[in-house]
Amino acid sequence: MSPAQETAAHLESLAARLLTWGTRVAMALILVGVLGMIATGVDPITSSFPPFSLAAIPGQLASLQPVGFLWVGLIVLVGLPIGRVVVSGAGFLAAGDRRLALVSALVILVIAVSVIAALGLEG
Amino acid sequence: MIAGLVLLVGGAAAGVFGSLLGLGGGVLIVPLLTLGFGLPLREAVAVSLVSVIVTSSASAGVYLEKHVANLRLGMVLELFSASGALVGGLIAFMLPANVLEGLFAALLVWVAISMVRRKEPAKDGAPVVAAVAVDVSADLTFTETLGGRGYRVHSLPFGMAGSVFAGLMSALLGIGAGIVKVPTMHLLMGVPLKIATATSNMMIGITAVSSAVIYLLRGQIDPFVAGPTAVGVFAGAMIGTRIAPRVDVRVLRWLFVVVLAYTAFQMGQKALGL
Repeated sequence: MSPAQETAAHLESLAARLLTWGTRVAMALILVGVLGMIATGVDPITSSFPPFSLAAIPGQLASLQPVGFLWVGLIVLVGLPIGRVVVSGAGFLAAGDRRLALVSALVILVIAVSVIAALGLEG
Repeated sequence: MIAGLVLLVGGAAAGVFGSLLGLGGGVLIVPLLTLGFGLPLREAVAVSLVSVIVTSSASAGVYLEKHVANLRLGMVLELFSASGALVGGLIAFMLPANVLEGLFAALLVWVAISMVRRKEPAKDGAPVVAAVAVDVSADLTFTETLGGRGYRVHSLPFGMAGSVFAGLMSALLGIGAGIVKVPTMHLLMGVPLKIATATSNMMIGITAVSSAVIYLLRGQIDPFVAGPTAVGVFAGAMIGTRIAPRVDVRVLRWLFVVVLAYTAFQMGQKALGL
């Protein structure tokens, strides 16, 4: 196996560990939020939820509100596939595979456009 | 409180069925939330996308560790599926709800027909390796670098087009769209079924994220619904993986076809306002 191939194989294992452990962390956070919902008697269907706000999350966590843990868990979850693409892109670059590194960068660009488009629609 | 438990159990059922039958949970979660709990379709789609990300991340980790998913091919195709999902995520807010419901009913019929026609995968044969560690310095075309040991990838433009369509479907209907991606890779591009399935599982995560961020930032993801559902799906998928060797999937598949047909009828009625 060439050094480039070894780097690529290592990259797969790294991406796999990121996804496996990241999912566990995200699910643990969400589970804490769900248990908090049960403890505080939140009905998921009839209760209105506070709108998503990054700035409000630290306060929600500090006051141990279930919704804070749910938001953080969901953010970690949404970040996992993005993290996998970033790790893969860096690995492809390290392995000298510029085309795949460019593809990874373009995938991230699509996600960035999604965020900008959503914020634009909100505004 | 009871609704939370029902969401947990419903998510778990979707996770078990999904992992046993090779489907994402979206085809079950969206009807559960819309027909069962009366949630608006867009909110149900948003919650379902979260569950799709859970399923994808959990299974892709395993597939990548075992070198079954083709990371290189997946990366190329997910550029197109993510682009399709971006467009779909924006269109979803422009289409009337009954159009989306009609599309979902059609999707359920399509999935039911696919399940009836599905053949059992062969259990023997030489092991196939995704072989993502390609020597890029070798004199290969770009498409050739996307293949693996024992197979060559071809018809990349078909794969790109299929991925854009899969991304659109995922964003509009809250599904992983493996039902589009797997046949595209396997039948049109020459990828072995096992690798196509694993690669599709990996791809659906980033595809779902492309539109999930739009739903999230537009206030359509209800954390009180998404939380219990996601935990249920995660637990259900783990249970499904463990009991899979002991379950007669043929019986389960026919039961599932009946459920899909009934749900398609209900969703169709809702779309037509009957």
